[in-house]
Amino acid sequence: MIRRARGSGADGTGATPAGESADAAFPALLEESPEILYEQAPCGYLTTMMDGTVAKVNATLLGWLGRTREEVLGRMRFGDLLTAGGRIYHETHFAPLLRMQGEISGVALELKAADGTRMPVLASSVVTYGSEGEPLLIRTTLSDARDRRAYEEELLRGTRAAERARAEAEEARRAADEARRAAEHARTQEERARKEEERARRQAEQTRRETEQARKEEERARRQAEQATKDAEQDRRAAELARKQAEFERQQAEAARRDAEADRARLQDALGVLQQSLLPDHLPVVPGLEAASYYHTASPERLGGDFYDLFPLDGKRWAFFLGDVCGKGPQAAALTSLTRYSLRAAALHDPDPVAALSTLNTVLHERYTGGDPRYCTTVFGTVEPDPATGHVAVHLASGGHPPALIRRADGRAEYLETPGGLLVGVVPEPHFTAAHTTLAPGDTLLLYTDGLTEARTGPERALYGDDALRDFVADLPDAGPGALVGALTALLEGFGTGLDDDTALLALGAPKDTTATSATTATVATATATATATTVATVTATTTPEPE
Amino acid sequence: MSALKITSRDAATGPVVEIAGDLDYDTAGRLREVCTDLALHSGQRLVIDLAALEFMDSTGITALIAARNHALAAGADIALAAVPDNTIRILRLVGLDQIFPMHPSTEAATVGAG
Repeated sequence: MIRRARGSGADGTGATPAGESADAAFPALLEESPEILYEQAPCGYLTTMMDGTVAKVNATLLGWLGRTREEVLGRMRFGDLLTAGGRIYHETHFAPLLRMQGEISGVALELKAADGTRMPVLASSVVTYGSEGEPLLIRTTLSDARDRRAYEEELLRGTRAAERARAEAEEARRAADEARRAAEHARTQEERARKEEERARRQAEQTRRETEQARKEEERARRQAEQATKDAEQDRRAAELARKQAEFERQQAEAARRDAEADRARLQDALGVLQQSLLPDHLPVVPGLEAASYYHTASPERLGGDFYDLFPLDGKRWAFFLGDVCGKGPQAAALTSLTRYSLRAAALHDPDPVAALSTLNTVLHERYTGGDPRYCTTVFGTVEPDPATGHVAVHLASGGHPPALIRRADGRAEYLETPGGLLVGVVPEPHFTAAHTTLAPGDTLLLYTDGLTEARTGPERALYGDDALRDFVADLPDAGPGALVGALTALLEGFGTGLDDDTALLALGAPKDTTATSATTATVATATATATATTVATVTATTTPEPE
Repeated sequence: MSALKITSRDAATGPVVEIAGDLDYDTAGRLREVCTDLALHSGQRLVIDLAALEFMDSTGITALIAARNHALAAGADIALAAVPDNTIRILRLVGLDQIFPMHPSTEAATVGAG
């Protein structure tokens, strides 16, 4: 509008007085010449040849181009007015479409002014044809598209901004994604770290527990070690104590052993004294009688239960006994003692052998009864030598004792049987068997305990027995009491371990002649010369032989 | 030497004690203990079976006498059964055959008390 007003003013021809009304001016406008309209139209007009050579151009376009008409007419083509891009677009699209369709409109192109500035335009072209229909000219209208271009550029700018914003948004989204991923990653990392930490924490806890456990174990081990140490110490002390105890006990035992040995020695002494009290120290010298004895002790500890004795009764008779109490040891010794003195007392009261044994039986049976019976076997008798004949009358009785053996001077040996005589002390009214014989000069009466006949001999440990004893005695060359006891002593020693019981021997004999008698007796009891004299005196006083 | 073995059982007539082995100083105490522990009643008979006895010494005799005393104190009597020959010899020697009835076997000894 400004340009138009300025054009109108510059032109001068169409100027209208300022005071004219609009109604008055309008016809003036209508009266504008077509030439002015063409030249000063608000768009550019351009007529070219078919090859694009500019044939006609209006002032508006020349003004846009900054060129004179002379520069353009016949010298430049339409394409020369365009920018390089516009020219290429014109040649490749615009011109071919135009030739083919005859018209084209609204195509955006860009003019290039002489000063190099550019100007966007919208181009519409039509082809004018001749009478023959041949194309003659191209008429082109170019309208200013700078505003449009600005809009488009604005639009483009907006688009770009939008695009940029979109890109930015995209970028932001990507960044967000990235951030999200990073965050995710970080979160994952964190989670992992958390898990790692949790694991580490658990591990630490586990380690702590293990450490605690180990500490407790160590504590327990330490306590155990301490306990073991204490135990060991205790054991050591106990062992020491036990050792001392053992040493003490050993010393005690040693002392006890010494005491025991001392006791044993004292006991041996006592037993020896006691044993001596049970037997006569030596046999008395009996006129007209030869006597010998022997005692074998099987065991010193087991005080023997065998006994014998020979003692005077009156002026002409002597009593003798030999026996065996049951058992061994102190009780046996006590029984032996009781038996010995009972028989001595009984014989003095009544020298009859059966009466003496009966008295002893009463004593023992009253003394020992019930579950602890004590008894003995005994041969009790009297001898009465006859100085006139040299014979010795023998009266005896047996209570459960082996029979006496008689060795005659002519070599015969025979038992003086006393069957049925019962052990002394077992029953209240026992039967005792009496027997009597006369020893001629050279005859010997042997009393013995069953240690002799019950001895075991030979590898078979056979019982020695009555028959063997009788034969042994019969075969002896000298049958006097001394010789007989000597031979039997040797026999007993020969038995060795086969003889496990005490054995007592008592032999009484009638001397072969009177002179020999006193000699033999003297050898048996040399210590009692006074008694011998007394006894001899007694013998000489009693010369009466026993009847029967 | 063989160990002493003592077994006891009851027969119609009373206890029967069987003795096997050696009855001597070392073992006789056991027979006395066994006999002391026996339940004996008046009118019964204590039978001591010596069939397997191998050896007896004076302490064995003492144990037999203790058994007899125990039986008599209870109002019972005593009998020996199957006494070996050597033991019979010893018993006769000491006169105990007069106070100990002897039977050839326990069967014979336990056929009534008379």
